[in-house]
Amino acid sequence: MTSVHPPPAPGRELSNPPTDGISNLRFSNHSDHLLVSSWDKTVRLYDASANSLRGEFMHGGPVLDCCFHDDSSGFSASADNTVRRIVFSHGKEDILGRHDAPARCIEYSYAAGQVITGSWDKTLKCWDPRGASGQERTLVGTYPQPERVYSLSLVGNRLVVATAGRHVNVYDLRNMSQPEQRRESSLKYQTRCVRCYPNGTGYALSSVEGRVAMEFFDLSEASQAKKYAFKCHRKSEAGRDIVYPVNAIAFHPVYGTFATGGCDGFVNVWDGNNKKRLYQYSKYPTSIAALSFSRDGRLLAVASSYTFEEGDKPHEPDAIFVRSVNEIEVKPKPKVYPNPPA
Amino acid sequence: MSTPPSDPLLQVETTCGTLLYELQIIWDEVGETDADRDKMLLELERECLEVYRRKVDQANHCRAQLRQTIADSEAELAAICSAMGERPVHIRQSDQNAGSLKEELSKILPQLEEMKKRKIERRNQFLEVLEQVQKITNEIYGYTDSVSSKTVVDETDLSLRKLEELHRQLHELQKEKCDRLKQVQDHLNLLNSLCSVIGMDFKLTVTEVHPSLVDSEGFRSISNNTIGQLATLINKLREVKIQRMQRLQDLAITMLKLWNQMDTPIEEQQIFQSVTCNIAASEDEITEPNTLSVDFINYVEAEVYRLEELKSSKMKELVLKKRSELEEICRKTHLVPDSESSIEDAIEAIESGAVDAANILEQLELQIGKVKEEAFSRKEILEKVEKWLTACDEECWLEEYNRDENRYNAGKGAHLTLKRAEKARSLVNKLPGMVEALASKTMAWEKEREVEFLYDGICLLSMLEEYTILRQEKEQERRRLRDQKKLQGQLIAEQEALYGSKPSPSKPQSVKNGPRYSSGDASNRRVSLGGALLPTHKPDSLHSAKATPQTRPSKKTERMFHNDHLNHRQDDTIPAFSAVRRGLDIADIPVRKRSSSAVNANEPESPLVRKPFSPISSTISSKANMTNKLEDNGGTLQKMLPTNDLSYTTPFKTICLVGEENRTPKATPIPVPCTPSTVSVPMQTAMTPAPPIPFTATKPVEEIPEEIEQSFEERRLAVVLSQTQITSLIQSASLNEDEIVATILLTNARKHSQIMKIKYDISSSH
Repeated sequence: MTSVHPPPAPGRELSNPPTDGISNLRFSNHSDHLLVSSWDKTVRLYDASANSLRGEFMHGGPVLDCCFHDDSSGFSASADNTVRRIVFSHGKEDILGRHDAPARCIEYSYAAGQVITGSWDKTLKCWDPRGASGQERTLVGTYPQPERVYSLSLVGNRLVVATAGRHVNVYDLRNMSQPEQRRESSLKYQTRCVRCYPNGTGYALSSVEGRVAMEFFDLSEASQAKKYAFKCHRKSEAGRDIVYPVNAIAFHPVYGTFATGGCDGFVNVWDGNNKKRLYQYSKYPTSIAALSFSRDGRLLAVASSYTFEEGDKPHEPDAIFVRSVNEIEVKPKPKVYPNPPA
Repeated sequence: MSTPPSDPLLQVETTCGTLLYELQIIWDEVGETDADRDKMLLELERECLEVYRRKVDQANHCRAQLRQTIADSEAELAAICSAMGERPVHIRQSDQNAGSLKEELSKILPQLEEMKKRKIERRNQFLEVLEQVQKITNEIYGYTDSVSSKTVVDETDLSLRKLEELHRQLHELQKEKCDRLKQVQDHLNLLNSLCSVIGMDFKLTVTEVHPSLVDSEGFRSISNNTIGQLATLINKLREVKIQRMQRLQDLAITMLKLWNQMDTPIEEQQIFQSVTCNIAASEDEITEPNTLSVDFINYVEAEVYRLEELKSSKMKELVLKKRSELEEICRKTHLVPDSESSIEDAIEAIESGAVDAANILEQLELQIGKVKEEAFSRKEILEKVEKWLTACDEECWLEEYNRDENRYNAGKGAHLTLKRAEKARSLVNKLPGMVEALASKTMAWEKEREVEFLYDGICLLSMLEEYTILRQEKEQERRRLRDQKKLQGQLIAEQEALYGSKPSPSKPQSVKNGPRYSSGDASNRRVSLGGALLPTHKPDSLHSAKATPQTRPSKKTERMFHNDHLNHRQDDTIPAFSAVRRGLDIADIPVRKRSSSAVNANEPESPLVRKPFSPISSTISSKANMTNKLEDNGGTLQKMLPTNDLSYTTPFKTICLVGEENRTPKATPIPVPCTPSTVSVPMQTAMTPAPPIPFTATKPVEEIPEEIEQSFEERRLAVVLSQTQITSLIQSASLNEDEIVATILLTNARKHSQIMKIKYDISSSH
């Protein structure tokens, strides 16, 4: 029983946090560097293990997403419609290109060597960052989406795009001409976040109504029978069920278990295969805006930052916590019941 | 001797005499004694004698030397002559009287000189020949040239005979060289042809043996070593050639076989004429260049491979054809083909090479024969079965027809139906007899063969049995109906008696298709069980059966049950996992459109529960949805989303009152005045270069479609932008303060504090 363990400390808080809402944070694939995008129009680079701010890069508008290219550069998607490439050492940033509306999310595919951005202009764009600056050189393709893009996730050559209107498109990066699968979210409410399983067999999708759906790419009946959804980030209070949006999902790179973060300020760790909750971390000051495991899964970065779910209102300061992850918190437990294998 | 006074001796005589006289005078004068005089004279005489003797000795010595020289010369001459194998020109013994020694010498010397000259000439000849011999020998034995330059001539034998001998030797050597050259040339020619046949570079091959062999002119190595190497090379290549030839011939044989089997067109064959014409050729008959090169063999091999592929695909085709033939026969005779030897397995087996296609074909052929034979034996019974089945169909039709109340209404083709019904009736009457006859025939057949008679895999007897049972049931049903009708008739009559009016003839409710007795279709019967369990659904599962496809197998439902059950047992599991069905939101979309406000959600729920087979109408489903949802919450629990703005996108589960403006759901990202002041709006548009998103919303609230779904980020951005607008508004000094304040006052009350601040800013800046 996990509840026996005392709730662990929230982790080390990074100094010099962003001054406005944190839109995303990501660990590097090569080091413990942490890239953080924020509504204060900056992208910040931290060394999480040394707790130091390595760089700060100003943008023309709020930055809605960021990702690493390698340890020396990264990409950002900004509300001023631009997609930028940031070179950390020079503090230099090139504009890779523009969308017609704010760029909401960004991913870098190591498989394709491309940057993929999703925007509220209802398109997905692929960019080749090696091309010289200038949209006509870097833009690989524009792919219309049924609605504004809200979340993206990549695994191998698969790309999952979640948009407004609960649409989910699954692409093969090698053939972007049209989606490999067009789906509708299994959840009834607006999609907040989508993340692919590290083993590439499916994706987890969270909604604003305290629920996460576990989906599978394989369309065979056997695979589809495995999918399910579960409720989380809810609170029962005085006969009322308070439901919080699930803002973030992060998969553990080693064990394939995942953490979810909600507007209730909690981070939960789940074992999707055995349908169990492995751990709940003690409550953070405000909503969990983003989560990221480090490359070896030893660290978990938690962005505790108001996500505007209740409009413009006074709120706790934005903070980034980096906690060391205990194996017991993320390692799947052996099954107790002979459950049907998921 | 009377000699002229010029004679020196005489002069000497005189001088001696004078001198003696002079001496006498001196002595006289001196007065030398006679003894001294004598002594002196004696001395004089002795000294003279001495001088004479010396001279004689000298002359003697000189003569001896001269004789020696002559003898030497003669000896040398003799030696040369003998070396040259010639008779000596000068025989000395014959003439002693030849004269003085000096003469003799002068006679001999020129002879010697000449002989010496001749000897040198001869030696040069020898050298020349020897050198040539040496050279050729070197060439043959492959020594290096440097040794041969110091040819040593045997000086003792320079005779012509020897020279001739050497010449002969030289000649022989030259002949051998010639032979060898020819041999090398032969080898090279052979090599060349071999190389060309097996497609190797001749020059390259030969250079490996000896680089000199490449150019046809000039020096060529003819050493033993070279020849030996050439010979081995030829052997090697010949072996390769034979090997390849065999390979090619094998291929050609295979090819011919395949052509034969597949009737390959002549045009296609002609391309490989060069291959097949060599099929029986011996090694030396194949001379055409490149006929045995690796490329060519590969090319032929590829062709053979292609043909084999073609053949295997044709075989597969054939197998498939045979198989379908077999299946066709089986289908016609209502036999069930062996399911084990499915065609896919066979194809797979062929492809993997585990089974020979021909083998399978043979098997199929055998099976077809067997099936044909069986079909023949079944023919009689099958015909009867066919008749029975058509009779059953007719029976079915008749039944349907009988139920039709309007069957006697004259319409198009009514007379035809009538006729058919007549026929059908007589046929139906014959049915029991037919069944009986068929049963007895079948039994006889089964007895004879001791196998069950299967019709499409179903035992015919059991079919017949079933049919009779059903028929009996039907009979009973019919009887019951007749009674009912009678009863109804009575009732109607009673009512008539009471009220004097006759109810309109009503169709008996739910004319269900009776079970198709006649059908031998097993699958139909099996499936028909499916729907029975459908209506089962869990009351507390959120996504209950409302959207479940009607044909969903019952198994799934059960499993879902099971899952939920499990979840309840586990304390630690994720709360209430519910199986998400693909179709689960079908009914949900209309809901979202209809119920845009919380009021709708609070609508008193009707106890409507959709019947399992009733169509899904949007109203019903939405209500059903509500019901389900409320069930989900235990009916009393009320859900509340902390995100009150979600009302745009999602049906509210409960009412929640948070902010003033939330009562009227708006899609407006920035709260705007209901009646925007006419002054400020154009100003705003004029002043700010910001994207126009917020301004699309400056229309009256009523017009705004309520469906616009927005994420937190979109709303946040709108707020951020509106804030920057206000700031930019303020920053422009040309604005009237009152206008700004008016604009701002009309904006959202929630921004109150900020507005106060702005106001303060304005006033302080003034």
